[in-house]
Amino acid sequence: MVTDALFKFVLPSHPRYLRVVRAAVGELGSVSGLPAEDCRAVILAVDEALANIIRHAYRGHFDRRIEVTCQAFADRLEFDLLDQGEPPDPDRLAPHPLDDVALSGRGTHIIRSIMDEVSYEQAPGGNRLRLSKRLPAVLSGVEEEGKS
Amino acid sequence: MNATIRSNQGTTIVDVTGHIDLGSSPALRKSMLECIKNNDRMAVNLSEVKYIDSSGIASLLEILKEARNTRKKFVLFGLTPGVREVLQLTRLTGVFEIYESEDDVVKAAKG
Repeated sequence: MVTDALFKFVLPSHPRYLRVVRAAVGELGSVSGLPAEDCRAVILAVDEALANIIRHAYRGHFDRRIEVTCQAFADRLEFDLLDQGEPPDPDRLAPHPLDDVALSGRGTHIIRSIMDEVSYEQAPGGNRLRLSKRLPAVLSGVEEEGKS
Repeated sequence: MNATIRSNQGTTIVDVTGHIDLGSSPALRKSMLECIKNNDRMAVNLSEVKYIDSSGIASLLEILKEARNTRKKFVLFGLTPGVREVLQLTRLTGVFEIYESEDDVVKAAKG
């Protein structure tokens, strides 16, 4: 029996494909029961992570390989992003207080604000960023458990 | 993404439609920078924006800085829930002057 869904995209690091991934992430969130506002947030988080890969890991080259794996489990959504570009600057990945006037650096803050878990590793296949978001049924289950 | 420019009672209105993301924000930034150089009051209509990311927000912030440096007016109106949420996430809601509608922008200009 199969209950978990897995969708994998292999795409060039060109911004034109971002909206394709956004659409897929939104639909997956929607059928998994995420409320509309959370769906928009998760779309944004995945999109910001892809934009970081294009801008920083691939330094604006639009013809490199990105693998995006989207998984829907009973309790969470997981997004796995793999690239073969420059490893990220650890300082950029770390949580920072937002500077009111800074023009850049908001993407990582957005990702951390939205997702429940964010982890990075240098895997054999390249840089792997994993983003995880709990689904509402689990959240309400935890609340009910806490009340009893 | 598409951006068109028109005038309403002394305020230059930029109507933006579609998705503002890594691919489209450089073009939007360029047209808005050109616009703020040539006009004293500029308002961006975001009511038809389906999506905006942090690069789009950074473009808006850059125009705001340019406007402040040159003593011009730069405001936003017609924010969709999605746009408002991104501004809140980036904690920039209070940085921009935001109006509900174009009528409100024009009324505010008249003082």
